[in-house]
Parts: sequence; structure tokens; C-alpha cells
Amino acid sequence: MTENAPFDDDQRRHVQSELMRESLVGQHIGAKTGTSQEICILPDMNVLSIGGMSILDRGREALIPLLEAILECRQKHKFVIGVGGGARLRHTFHICLDLGLPTGALAMVAGAVDEQNSRMLWSLLASSKGMSLNKENFLELPLWLDEGMIPVMSSMPPYHFWEPPAGRQGIPMNGNDLGAYLFAEVLGARSIIFLKDERGLYTADPKKDASAEWIPRIGVRELLDRRMPELIIEQACLEAMINARHVRRIQIINGLQPELLGKALDGEHVGTIIDADL
Amino acid sequence: MSQSSASSPARKSILNPLADINLNTPQTLESIYPDAKPLRILPDVNVIKIGGQSVIDRGREAVWPLRDEIGEIVQKHRLLIGSGGGTRARHAYSLALDLNLPTGVLATIGQSTAVQNARILQLVLAEFGAIFIIPEDFQSLPLYFRMGCIPIMAGMPPYEYWEKPPREGRIPPNRTDSGVYLTGECLAARKVIFVKDEEGLYSDDPKKNPRAEFIPRISVQELLARSLKDMVVEPVVLENMLKAVNVREIQVINGLVRGNLTRAIEGEPVGTTIYVADE
Repeated sequence: MTENAPFDDDQRRHVQSELMRESLVGQHIGAKTGTSQEICILPDMNVLSIGGMSILDRGREALIPLLEAILECRQKHKFVIGVGGGARLRHTFHICLDLGLPTGALAMVAGAVDEQNSRMLWSLLASSKGMSLNKENFLELPLWLDEGMIPVMSSMPPYHFWEPPAGRQGIPMNGNDLGAYLFAEVLGARSIIFLKDERGLYTADPKKDASAEWIPRIGVRELLDRRMPELIIEQACLEAMINARHVRRIQIINGLQPELLGKALDGEHVGTIIDADL
Repeated sequence: MSQSSASSPARKSILNPLADINLNTPQTLESIYPDAKPLRILPDVNVIKIGGQSVIDRGREAVWPLRDEIGEIVQKHRLLIGSGGGTRARHAYSLALDLNLPTGVLATIGQSTAVQNARILQLVLAEFGAIFIIPEDFQSLPLYFRMGCIPIMAGMPPYEYWEKPPREGRIPPNRTDSGVYLTGECLAARKVIFVKDEEGLYSDDPKKNPRAEFIPRISVQELLARSLKDMVVEPVVLENMLKAVNVREIQVINGLVRGNLTRAIEGEPVGTTIYVADE
């Protein structure tokens, strides 16, 4: 076989490559395409995920002190801010489910809520180099981060109508937490910090159950095995962590205590750490 | 104990049944919406995937007969076509793998080859009303169908950088089969048909193993249990079918045989049918 001959022996026109003639669906394909040296595209970038219901829906009183902390941390750290949905997301799902819309339609319609929140946050940060980040701008991120900008994006992953079905009356399982997480993972980010309205993960919802105990650190497999009916973070995000190449641990902190953010960015343990290697 | 709830700034909320439900884990909502019926968005549309490596890369010899056949089918049926990637996608993946790039970048790159093929198919089928569409055009589909168009889009779902890394390796699990299937499921399409270059499913890859046996009809559950070495569709399609509401059956046919697509659309059991068995 000569190096550059057109490989027409099976009537298909192939381009020579490691995957030539490969169906890409065989069980061997995983082993063939692995590496222990996947590159980190933006290794000094951090991702801050700001909860919709937990932070944004609380308005000025919660957000302004947090933004002050964010601006201070920007002196030392590079980060992108992902913004969640919140109350209007719930209301959107409610209307759509009542109308019998499929899961993919819920995911498509829901994205606009994150979009609203990210615009509001952008408005507050614009005078401090806040930038609205869409996936079309990803290739410019190195410059933006280097120039001290604060990119703000909607956390919702763009699965839209292609959100996998989740059964009848299925709520999309891939939401803000997963979207922010995968963004960090694919770019090989330094860390991801989820800012919510609790100290982190509890054995039950501390808002409903006073006996709930705080969990300072837990392995992701152990957490999934516990099958807790309520989690502070999306189950899909935890499941994705198991296969992560770069972002193997996440920290959830209380965004209502903005002084924790700088410590978390410095690597301190101030909330709940969920670890895929534990 | 919660440190924050008592003293936290109040949340602005909207009263509705989901306002305070934890949605981070799968929830059963049947008791909240007992009367809601699944809405079938475009139930008379047939969603067809035309394979990249299996059909388009064969060039004129494979594509032109299929073109004539599609020209006849659209006299009677509505078609939405998704394109595969094929050999250039494999080349791009191969290069990206060699460069140690992550799955999400592979998914983003793979999209482009499927877009090329969708553009090619649109030009080939333009005479019959084919138009090239992108995911953002999705909500204009009723208009296109009323105008008698054949919308053609890249089969890849728009996951791109957000494609989840697989357990092993770095090939994006959601490629054009997955995208086309999910298109059909969301629209509640009449049929989802994968046009490839084999009769359908075999017990092994028939291009590599001549003793591979043909399987005309099989349930998703059985197919997953068999754990075949090679599969005719992306495994993620089967996993999604188990949770699907609308499209509980797909068909894989050989598009190199003239008439197969017509027969499949007319409801004949040509090729392999994969269905969700009632539990």
C-alpha cells in the first residue's frame, strides 16, 4: 500500500489516518484513543459558577458584596464567571411540562433565563472589564484573560433541542452546574468553584432538615453511591467528574460569605470539596 | 446546621409547583402534572441520517441513485435529513488525538465535517427543494415543510466543547447518529432511519469478519445485553432510546440498494429495526 494512494478498495474514499475505515462504534475504540497527556488549554484560568436561585435571585444584597470580592480576586487570579438560572427557570419548566413539551424543548427554552442573568451581571461588571462571553468568543479567551477582563457567560450547556430524553415529564439533567463544569474541564482549568447559599454539601437539605450535617470532603463515587434524594449540585456534574481528565475536584462554597472566595481561589478548603480521586 | 438561611437576603421567587423542588437529581413529576400529555411537535416528519463514510464518501456512485429516490419520496413524505461526518472527520479526530486534545475539542472539530457534508447534500438535492439549516433554524421547520422543502442539517448535536469525556479514550460519544436520533425524538418524528452501507446490524463488523450474522429485528435491551464488539449505531443512541418518550424504534438500512429507503419509509421491515421492548 503506498502512502498516498486513494484507498478505494472497498469503494469508499478514505483519507489515511489512524482511524481510517474505523466505524468509531466498536468497543476497542476507547483503548485506541486514550492518552495520559491530554493538554490543558487554559491551565491558569479558574471558573466561578454563580448560582441562580442561591445567589442571583437574592438580588443586590447578595450580589454586590460578592462582586466586590470578585474584583479584588481578579488582581491575583484569572477566571470566567458562569451564571445560573433560578426561579424563572423553574417557572419555565413548570409551564413547559404542563403543556407536555419534550425534554429537549425545556432545555432550549430554559437557556434564556441564564442569558438574562448573565446580562445583568455583565451590566454590573462592565465598568470593570466585564465581557459577555459566548462560545464564538472562546478562541479569544487567552487575550481577554491576559488583559484582565472578566468574561461572564451563561452556564447552561448548549444542548438545546438535543438534550437527551429523561422520560415522561423529564427535566433536563444537564444544567448550569454541568455546563460550567464541562467548560472548565475541556479547557483544563486550574479550578472550579461553585458559589451557592450554603457552606457546601449536607447530608440532607439544611433548609428543610435542621439535623442535616455538613460534609467537608467526599469522594465523588461515594457521594453518588449514597443516592441522596437531594443534592446541592447536579448529579450529571458529579457523573461527568468520574471521567474527567483535568478537573478532578470541585469546591462548593457559600457565596453569601464573599470573603471565602479569595481563600478558595488560593486553594484553601473553605467549603465542601468533592474529589474524583478520593 | 445551615449558617445562612436565617440571615440570608431574601430570594425573589415565583410561586409554582417546582419552585422549591430539588431538581439536581431525577424527580418523578407525574403527581404534579397528572393530565399532561406528551406534545408531538412534528409527528409526520421522517428524520433520515445519510452516512458520511458509508454513503457520501462513496461519491456519485452512491449518492446519485439515492438522490433520485429522495426526489420521488418527497412527492409523498416529509423528510428532514441529517448528514454524517465520514473519513475527513476520522482524519481530523486522528490528528486532534495525536495533538493530545480533549474530547470537547474533537466534538467541536467533528461538527465542521458534518456541516460540509450537509452543504454538499443540500446542493445535490437542491432541485427537489433541499435547504441547508443550522440548529438556530429549528423553529422555522414548519414553514420549510409547508413550502415543500427538505431541510438538511449537520447530524452532530450542538454539544461541542460541552461534550462529556467518555469513560475511556477521547472520541466524542455523541456524534451524528446521536444528533439525528435526538432530532427525531424531540420532534416526535414518524420515523428515524439511518441510511448506511450495510443491510443493518450484524453480530460483528461484516467488513472485517465475513462470518458476521445479520440481525433483522432486535430490542435495545437485548442489543445492550449482547455487548457486541462492533455496533451499527452509536451506543449512546440505544441508551437514549430507553429514556425516550416518542421515538421508540429506529431502522438501519443499506442505502446502496435502490428502493430500500422508499420501502423503509412505507413501513416495510427492510434492514434492521431496533426497538424498545416493553418492560
